[in-house]
Amino acid sequence: MKTLIIGLGNPILGDDGVGWKVAKELTALIDPDTSVEIDCASLGGLSLMERMLGYQRVIVIDSMETGESPEGCVKVFPLAALENQYAGHLASPHDVSLTTALQAAQSIGAKIPTRVDIVAIEAKNVYDFSDDLSLKIEKAVPLAAEEVLKLLDD
Amino acid sequence: MTQRITIDPITRLEGHGKIEIFLNEEGDVANTYFQIPELRGFERFCVGRPVEEMPLLTNRICGVCPEAHHMAAAKAADMVYHVDPPHTAKLLRELLYMAFFVTDHTTHFYALGGPDFVMGPDAPVAERNILGVIHKVGLETGGKVIQARKFGHNVVEIIGGRKVHPCTSIPGGLTKGITEEERKQIEEMGRWAIEFAQFSLKLFNDIVLGNKQYVDLILGDIYNHRTYYMGMMDENNKINFYDGKVRVVDPDGKEFVKYAPKDYAEHIAEHVEPWTYLKFPYLKKVGWKGFVDGKDSGVYMATPLSRLNSSDGVATPRAQEEYERFYSTLGGKPVHQRLAIHWARLVELLYAAERWVELATDPEITSPNFHTIPTEKPTEGVGIVEAPRGTLTHHYWTDERGVVTKVNLIVGTTNNYAPISMSINKAASSLIKKGTIVTEPMLNMVEMAFRAYDPCFGCATHSLPGQMPLEVTIRDPKGETIEVLKRG
Repeated sequence: MKTLIIGLGNPILGDDGVGWKVAKELTALIDPDTSVEIDCASLGGLSLMERMLGYQRVIVIDSMETGESPEGCVKVFPLAALENQYAGHLASPHDVSLTTALQAAQSIGAKIPTRVDIVAIEAKNVYDFSDDLSLKIEKAVPLAAEEVLKLLDD
Repeated sequence: MTQRITIDPITRLEGHGKIEIFLNEEGDVANTYFQIPELRGFERFCVGRPVEEMPLLTNRICGVCPEAHHMAAAKAADMVYHVDPPHTAKLLRELLYMAFFVTDHTTHFYALGGPDFVMGPDAPVAERNILGVIHKVGLETGGKVIQARKFGHNVVEIIGGRKVHPCTSIPGGLTKGITEEERKQIEEMGRWAIEFAQFSLKLFNDIVLGNKQYVDLILGDIYNHRTYYMGMMDENNKINFYDGKVRVVDPDGKEFVKYAPKDYAEHIAEHVEPWTYLKFPYLKKVGWKGFVDGKDSGVYMATPLSRLNSSDGVATPRAQEEYERFYSTLGGKPVHQRLAIHWARLVELLYAAERWVELATDPEITSPNFHTIPTEKPTEGVGIVEAPRGTLTHHYWTDERGVVTKVNLIVGTTNNYAPISMSINKAASSLIKKGTIVTEPMLNMVEMAFRAYDPCFGCATHSLPGQMPLEVTIRDPKGETIEVLKRG
């Protein structure tokens, strides 16, 4: 099954770059001959959907800010579990939500992945510019990588 | 060692656009305040980096228009090193830029602003998005939108080295050129883009201009403001997104000033208000008179409509025809109705596609002469381009090694902070009378005002859920909250 692992986030926005760090860690852990591709991206909505076309399965790794868990907590869930609050309005004035983008692609007959899972790391320092992760988030990187590997075996 | 500066949580809105509406004793709108936590931190972060990194770093200010920042940064870095890139480099950069413009304007019209129009004002909320548009205009059209984006991204990748976030601009030009094979592909995609742009204009004509309710809305007073207009022009005062001088016309359409990028600080100043972190740029020589319309107020707008208003026309033939039709339909120049920005955006879409083909068929486009090595000592430079949502200015100062010591950025939407605030005020004022608040329509009218400007408020975060919801708080004269309306 053609699988894409995307480390998502902005690599110069502090802990928002955690997705990239996890993806980089995974390139050392995953056999390059498999049908699994690993990439990093700073995309959302339509562009992110377009990156996903052609794969049956996608795992997205990103920071998440809910305020409901301690920093560094790793959560795993399917994309469908994320409430699409943006059916009537936009995720931002600038893009549509990933869920809406995937629905749009499907409606015009594009082959969207059949399974999209999210590995999310709870973070707070995602608004200040830095190349580095804060300590709590740095510690979560191997845990998040472990969760991705578990998903692949799933 | 980082120094943490704590910003009051009310103003550090974590991506929210926050609107505060204060009512007077009669229950009418006294004042509206549109607060944005613009990420000015970027200018601090870049200090200490080599200036040639700036086209790569500033890419990351935004995930939707990195190409604009990349180009402004590239031009500023050229000026820092006092180097003029060879003709081919300029052609290639502008070609990449035109493909990007086609992608961006397409996305905005069909997925972001378009739903306001294409669906009709009474369409249910759940349909007012790209899905609804596809449903209404048909699957084939939906497919064309994705195709337009695909072609645009391809061109950016071929010339820029990477999709979405280009990486080939360096001081003095580019790190690579294109082959004849690549040129042919680019030309073919450009020709498709021209047809697609014409198709989009026809769609707008049939669905929007053919709908009296929308025409009334466009021409109505609620979104009408007489302000100054700004855009980048070539030497014939025709719009050019990549290079030229910045021209400003007054509310009557007369040229007020035309300045070279390096002189921007003589003409643009920034006004500060205590209730928001984003400053309000205004025309220095007119002065700041508050959030008001008119020739005596230094407020100016920078959008596709502004560019059409401050130009003497468009340099490509089909787009020029559309430009003429635009003004003859709307009753002459300049046009002040904010909703006309959506139409102006489509005229620009056609220009960008035509210019794409013009550049792709230029005999010098495949030349191997795409870089001039800088020889002068680096000092200071300004790079200005037109981002899809307005004039974008990057200003860098460096030491003698080319290491950045200071950065000033005036981002596209920043130019429009005052006009957006005024549009929101007018929309809110017309819908809140004597304390009666009409919730759903009001939020829609406010959002429509907002969306026409295609705003980008430093949306550089990708934290799930990654959003910029809108929160509107209505307060009584004492400042007590009457109602909070939320989106998202």
